[in-house]
Amino acid sequence: MPPLIEARDLTKKYGAHVALDGVNFAVEAGRIVGLIGPNGAGKTSALRALLGLTAYQGHLQVLGHEPFGERTALMNDACFIADVAVLPPWLRVDQAIDFVAGVHPRFRRDRALSLLAKTQIAGKRRIRELSKGMKTQVHLALTMAIDAKLLVLDEPTLGLDILARRAFYDALVNDYMDETRTILITTHQVEEIENLLTDVIFIDKGRIVLDCSVEGIATRYAAVTVAADQLEAARAQRPFYERRLLGKVVLYFEHPDRDKLARYGELHAPSVSDLFVAKLSGEAQ
Amino acid sequence: MNTYWWLIRREFWENRAIWLIPAVLGGLLVLAALFGRVEFIAHNSPLQGRVFGGVVLFAFGATFFAVMSIYATWYLLDCLYADRKDRSVLFWKSLPISDTATVLCKLATALLVIPLVYFAAADLTTLMMAFIVSIRASSTVGSSLWQSDLWLQLQVLWLYLIITSAIWYLPIAAWLLIVSAWAKRGVMLWSILPPLALFLAERWFLGTHIVGDQLWERLVGFGRLAFNGHPGAGSWVSTTVDNNVVTTPAGIWNFLNVEGFFSSPETWIGVAVGVVLIVCAIQLRLRRTEI
Repeated sequence: MPPLIEARDLTKKYGAHVALDGVNFAVEAGRIVGLIGPNGAGKTSALRALLGLTAYQGHLQVLGHEPFGERTALMNDACFIADVAVLPPWLRVDQAIDFVAGVHPRFRRDRALSLLAKTQIAGKRRIRELSKGMKTQVHLALTMAIDAKLLVLDEPTLGLDILARRAFYDALVNDYMDETRTILITTHQVEEIENLLTDVIFIDKGRIVLDCSVEGIATRYAAVTVAADQLEAARAQRPFYERRLLGKVVLYFEHPDRDKLARYGELHAPSVSDLFVAKLSGEAQ
Repeated sequence: MNTYWWLIRREFWENRAIWLIPAVLGGLLVLAALFGRVEFIAHNSPLQGRVFGGVVLFAFGATFFAVMSIYATWYLLDCLYADRKDRSVLFWKSLPISDTATVLCKLATALLVIPLVYFAAADLTTLMMAFIVSIRASSTVGSSLWQSDLWLQLQVLWLYLIITSAIWYLPIAAWLLIVSAWAKRGVMLWSILPPLALFLAERWFLGTHIVGDQLWERLVGFGRLAFNGHPGAGSWVSTTVDNNVVTTPAGIWNFLNVEGFFSSPETWIGVAVGVVLIVCAIQLRLRRTEI
């Protein structure tokens, strides 16, 4: 089976600025992929290209479609939430349901209504009257009621408080995700989604820094906490990043020789957020 | 087809002014009929009555269409700009609706749906006004407003006006859509500046005024082409009302220049330019998301 998303040599330029610089990646069905990078790394450009919102150079296939030319057909099978608060402020909640039910062949009204019934939001309210958290709940209810193969979320919880953020991701995992669906999330708040993800793609300055499954991280990377007297010896093993913590130093290794490294201290697998910092800062070091 | 129906409904949800403005305007005119002076003109002959009725009924409809043209212009400038400004364009583009359908629906709303709403409101208001006035005023004033063939002729006139002005003003509407789909701010200014710059540049550097003439002709040439302005033999009548000589078309049938309008190359060149500009507007809509 071909991958759900396939990008080869994907490039996006804005004048002289290169937002995406010949990026290659693929996303398989049934995965939850985090596209992670600092602000201005090219995350949003990548998503805009995937969703057919912008023209690009290179090869890109999403669900068998060329996104820019075939956005309408693509949106039958894919849906996206770009940021919080993009629902039109003048729209009423019941109008939003009517409209999406009217134009989307895969929208299930009963499902949207039952999802909304769990919230405190009345159908006659206008979007502009709702809090940010409520807007997100409405948008999520609309989106989860669409029987889509691919869901793309671009910073879906930006500006929400911790309760709303937690509720958002819980709903996503419990009420939406199953083996037929694929989710692509971008965020710069890695800690929040790292337990959710099956795969991560790190992106920085328009290039892919890492493309790996979460299980793969544990075998491919190791972090060792080293005491000061062992530091020079451990450095000889060529860590790609080191971090000082309360008098100790944590060294990060790619393709580690575990037997050797065990002599200098205890090995552990880095978390996604630690690895993210290590990879991006390591490039700079 | 279903999508188009929902897109048009959506325009009514978003732009409540589409029906609120004609409703308020109609309300004001009905109030004026209720409490204003109605015994304004004494007329004696059937011809005077006919001219008086025609002028009053026409003036009511014309008021609606004048307001409509201002609103439709504003609507066209705003319709592809507002959702980029508040970023809801990202929501609309997450649905399986093509940009072509979106742009064509906005165009159809401005050129057909809004005029038809105003047309209905004008008819309703005129009916109520005629009813009120004929109760309040003397029988001659009242009866001059109830002439069935005059009503019928005015319906034909308004429908003809809607269809022909939609065709004639297509390039201007399409230009406004381009500005609306493209501008980052100042849509009003951007709609005027480029044509103005083109006009001035041509004058200064070439000393000619082809662009200016063409633009001016497109703006004001509609009436001259769509209607027979020259009183021909027997097609116009004059009568004296309150010491003023009023000349009106004797009937609608000779007044409408149907053949002239639809056979004029000006009409079809305008349509061709309009189609090209609409394609540009769609292309811009494809490429531009939020501001």
